[in-house]
Amino acid sequence: MIKIKIKINNTEIEVTEGSTILQAANQLGIEIPTLCHNEEVGHLNSCMICLVKDTHSGKFIPSCSRKAEQGMDIVTNDEEIHEARRTGLELLLSDHVGDCEAPCTIACPAHMDIPQMNRLLAAGKFDEALRIVKQNIALPAVLGYICPAPCEGACRRKPIDGTVSICLLKRFVGENGQIEEKPASATGHKVAIAGSGPAGLSAAYYLQLKGIQCDVFEKSPFIGGQLQTEIPDEKLPKNVLNKEISAIEKLGVNFFLNTEIDKAQFEKLQQDYNAVIIASGEIAMEQKYWGLDWNFKGFIVDSNTYQTNNPKVFAVGSALRSSKIAIRSLAQGKEAAASVWQMLNGLPVKGQPMKFNSRFGKLVIPEYAQYLKESVDEKRVEPGQGTLTGFSEEEVKSEAARCLHCDCRKATNCKLRDYSDEYDAVQKRFAYEERKAVRKQFHETIVYEPEKCIKCGICVALTEKHREAFGFTYIGRGFDVEIGVPFNETISEGLKKIAEKVADACPTGALARKVK
Amino acid sequence: MSVDYKHIDQIVAEKGTAKNSLIPILQAIQAKYNYLPEDALRYVCKKTDITPAQLVGVAGFYHQFRMEPAGDHIIKVCVGTACHVKGAGRVYDAFRRELKLEGAQKTDQSGKYTVSEVSCLGCCTLAPVVQIDNITYGHVQPDQVNRVLDDFDIQKNKKKGKRFRTPEGKEIKGEIRIGLGSCCQASGSAEIQKTVEEVVQTEGINVNLKHVGCVGMCHQVPLVEVLPDGKEPILYAKVQPGDVQGIIDRHFQPASFWGKLGRALDQFIDKAQTDEHWESIERYSIDVREKQVSSFLGKQIPIATELRGVINPVDFDEYLRHKGFTALEKAMKMPPSEVIDTIYDSGLRGRGGGGYLTGAKWIAVDVQESDTKYLICNGDEGDPGAFMDRMLLESYPYRVIEGMLIAAYAVSATKGYFYIRAEYPLAVKRVNEALKICRERGVLGKNSPSKIDIEIYEGAGAFVCGEETALMASIEGNRGFPRARPPFPAQTGLFGKPTLINNTETFAMIPYIVQNGAEKFNSIGNENSKGTKVFALAGKIARGGLIEVPMGITLRQVIDEIGGGVANGKKLKAVQIGGPSGGCIPYWLADTPIDFKSLNEIGAMMGSGGLVVLDETDCMVDIAKYFLSFTQDESCGKCTFCRIGTKRMLDILNRITQGKGKMEDLDELEKIAHWTEKGSLCNLGKTAPNPIVTTLKYFRDEYEAHINGVCPTGKCTDLISYSVNDNCIGCTKCAQKCPVDAIAFTPHEKHSIDQELCIKCDSCRQVCPEDAIDVAPSDSPKGGEKNPKIL
Repeated sequence: MIKIKIKINNTEIEVTEGSTILQAANQLGIEIPTLCHNEEVGHLNSCMICLVKDTHSGKFIPSCSRKAEQGMDIVTNDEEIHEARRTGLELLLSDHVGDCEAPCTIACPAHMDIPQMNRLLAAGKFDEALRIVKQNIALPAVLGYICPAPCEGACRRKPIDGTVSICLLKRFVGENGQIEEKPASATGHKVAIAGSGPAGLSAAYYLQLKGIQCDVFEKSPFIGGQLQTEIPDEKLPKNVLNKEISAIEKLGVNFFLNTEIDKAQFEKLQQDYNAVIIASGEIAMEQKYWGLDWNFKGFIVDSNTYQTNNPKVFAVGSALRSSKIAIRSLAQGKEAAASVWQMLNGLPVKGQPMKFNSRFGKLVIPEYAQYLKESVDEKRVEPGQGTLTGFSEEEVKSEAARCLHCDCRKATNCKLRDYSDEYDAVQKRFAYEERKAVRKQFHETIVYEPEKCIKCGICVALTEKHREAFGFTYIGRGFDVEIGVPFNETISEGLKKIAEKVADACPTGALARKVK
Repeated sequence: MSVDYKHIDQIVAEKGTAKNSLIPILQAIQAKYNYLPEDALRYVCKKTDITPAQLVGVAGFYHQFRMEPAGDHIIKVCVGTACHVKGAGRVYDAFRRELKLEGAQKTDQSGKYTVSEVSCLGCCTLAPVVQIDNITYGHVQPDQVNRVLDDFDIQKNKKKGKRFRTPEGKEIKGEIRIGLGSCCQASGSAEIQKTVEEVVQTEGINVNLKHVGCVGMCHQVPLVEVLPDGKEPILYAKVQPGDVQGIIDRHFQPASFWGKLGRALDQFIDKAQTDEHWESIERYSIDVREKQVSSFLGKQIPIATELRGVINPVDFDEYLRHKGFTALEKAMKMPPSEVIDTIYDSGLRGRGGGGYLTGAKWIAVDVQESDTKYLICNGDEGDPGAFMDRMLLESYPYRVIEGMLIAAYAVSATKGYFYIRAEYPLAVKRVNEALKICRERGVLGKNSPSKIDIEIYEGAGAFVCGEETALMASIEGNRGFPRARPPFPAQTGLFGKPTLINNTETFAMIPYIVQNGAEKFNSIGNENSKGTKVFALAGKIARGGLIEVPMGITLRQVIDEIGGGVANGKKLKAVQIGGPSGGCIPYWLADTPIDFKSLNEIGAMMGSGGLVVLDETDCMVDIAKYFLSFTQDESCGKCTFCRIGTKRMLDILNRITQGKGKMEDLDELEKIAHWTEKGSLCNLGKTAPNPIVTTLKYFRDEYEAHINGVCPTGKCTDLISYSVNDNCIGCTKCAQKCPVDAIAFTPHEKHSIDQELCIKCDSCRQVCPEDAIDVAPSDSPKGGEKNPKIL
């Protein structure tokens, strides 16, 4: 086999003749993004996201198809290429009508996966639903009583026949779901948390689960902060609160009550612990001398990581600015926990920044029918026993079934989303015309949403290769080209053999398995 | 319509069952049913190896194919560049209004007519042009569409209808060199020929009657050339059947008939000069014994068109008499490498647009080792406003074939193809006939010295198929998707084999070079571009047509000396060269020489040969938008930057021409243009931004004016309003012309225009005898000042 030498990002490499630039780069461990590249059908040269620069000619060439040539000098990652890829992604996004996350999830400060909870509830899988909820919310039952539910304000069903009763559903999950939680084996790291309100409890919960020992210092004689003192029993029954607190205690979190942290103790905590999280409510006069940056609202932190100017110290909840919304504090506790974990593991501290989200706004009337294809045309269920009692099991199932499933089934494995995030793409940059109306087509096991399609052609090539009788084809050409089944046959007719394969190969959420 | 399956069986039997038979099968089905009935298509899938996915993918890709039944008659409104600048859009709208079409509807309620826009009918000098079935109407104005339809009703049943007509139902006189170009045939030259034959016969004159190909002087159609024995040939322009007697008498009658002859001649000159035939915005004044003819031809050097006006296109023996196939003979006595060297040394560069060195391309194919090598003549000329290849294929098919055979010998090609646009039926017919005769005469086929056969593959309506990799995909029976190069066609081409693909005009140059040597060819032109280039000269030019000029000639020489300057005494504003891939060259750069390098340096490109002259009344933003609409529509849709980039640029241009633009849009336009150029897969996308880039570069102030709410030339209808000024004498002409009754019929009173109803079709302004119609920016500037008049 003939070997040739090329240079990629100033590193010389020897590759077998016939290798593509992409393969050569991969050999060097350099990643080049691709959307239309598929191992089985080869390159299609449609997305052009894999562009790299040939320094000799100054030309931009698709690396997935271009063969390496002796003496080539390739750059894969400079500013110009970044702009090329970002522009390409933004052009694709301007014609990509779909939501990565459902509007309710985006509205929720804790970004709880609401549609997934609803699907599990409608199927009667209450325990699994609780697992989903607790990924983001440490005190689901509590929140089920007191949350102002910004999620429900964003629900797509709201203007049509009433928002899905997300908050009550979550309360049901919190009170009735049963899961066994076991912390990971101890890492040896210790974190001190000042304050046991929602922010502190949330941080303690997520860190303890990861095997990090949390010691919570609470100045009052009881755990829960404002949840205990500010909310009347008839709004939030104390037994509900205490049950969820004791669940956190059971994980191994130590609570030190009647312990107020002052400057001296704060400094000692920094020595005794790997990290300190301040979750002690609105900052007191004395705290302003702790050596942390602050302003009239509270401590100043990085908005993604909650890290203060002291890298070992994090601050959340009302310590940043006075808040009466528990869910916000809870979300911050969770995100700070993620930052602390990153720091303790020597990773870059990024927190849990909101990932790129494709969004298309309000539904238009014809789209409602498309969404109803996997929902029910029923009015909002009101709890028969009154709001305080909440939903019965049957009511939960009916109400959860009303969810329109606005989330994308590929939210966690969509290349378009990942790259858009990586390249800071702005979806609205080229939003010059009215968006197309969303359609949904259902197969036994997969779903096709043509407006999410980026016309990469992988599905067309796969169905041809596997000799589907109808398969997928390009219909029309140019900007208006669509991918569809010939002769207007159904998707079920089009994909008799390799539906799941095609869904998995789709680089976006246009084709996805039904079950997320 | 029920499908006759036996007939489909016949089609399949004739065309074959493999994938590369798909397009010919679909063409045959559509020829029968006027569209592609789904039942027939499903049946084809059953009877062949073609899958439903392949079939639907291909049928939907090519614009020739219709999936829905069409009306009994198809109205094709030409929206080529020349027609566009002369108001084709308004004509199209007028047909739609007349037939009461709404939304996406293309066929009228009764199912009689289907209206469609076509990119170029190649009759640029008669713009705007409309074709209904086989009858062509020139200089059609929006208010004349009803008369066109009336005339068509009368003509359609006539067996031998006059095929080229004015909206008033009169014939348009085309070229009368007894031309056989498609424009000439359409223009009724047959009628002239008949008259000539009659006169010649009754008077017993012994003259040779000749059919010749296109001469290029389309502004003078029909042309008759008379060659009296031993005297200078004389060319007569715009001849009508009634004039024939006079012309013949002048040259062939005995002296005693001079008195009669004089009268006939006077009569002829009168007719030709009064130009009575249509109300058009363009009038061509004609002097029969004109100097113009000599200046039109004077600067030209015919190489590709060497035999123009001399030979009958399909007369093999006549081609032989004019040294036909002697270049082939000469070449075949040389070693192939020497032929390639000759072409290489001549400096010939591809005439299709890219300008790649032809000799280098030949070498690349020659060095490949393969039992099978293909040769393709690219005749998929899709540039709106260009018809050089059509003329060459129609007029000199043997010449192109000879060029191909020389190439085949040089690179050892084993099989040849003509890829010709389906929109050029006459070219297909002629080339077919010529190929058949060549086979009969032993020039072509297995037993010929060349041992090669050539067949025709008809395109199906996709501009992108002019791109070589897309063209090959099309012959293979696929959607015309280009692919990345390398590998180049020379390495991996048609069916994966080494393939030489050259443009029609390039092939037409080859026999000349072989015959006359490389030095003779490269002595023409300038240091960076050798030889000549054929252009279709059209737009706002006094004398349009097909011209062949030496490389290095300046744009100004072409416009002023060959074209007779800008029409109607208007000022030159810009020249659009190279069509949708080219750029707009402003008047202050008119001294730029026409060669590959100089044109690239100013941001334009040679392109395939469209040369559209724009005058001071043309809006440059509108021109950019026009070309972008074209490329956007013709984008194959494969790669991101071309598919969506062109659309977003068009979105911005639409905003700007609607007065909704912002200054930031111009920066964004430049950025998208930049990345569409850098990031597109093929040259369609890479060059699509050129019309925008050049107009932004040279006419940025016009873009800014639009953003400020003013279209300086009053072309963009969203930015203008029509009003009546005090010159109005109340003649009611405008009220009669107005297609939407926006002007009340009030004789002897000053008219007024109802702004709510007005559709800005410009009919009133054109008909007004008193210059009483004002066009002004529609948004009155605050402060109540009177709007400045634009026109």
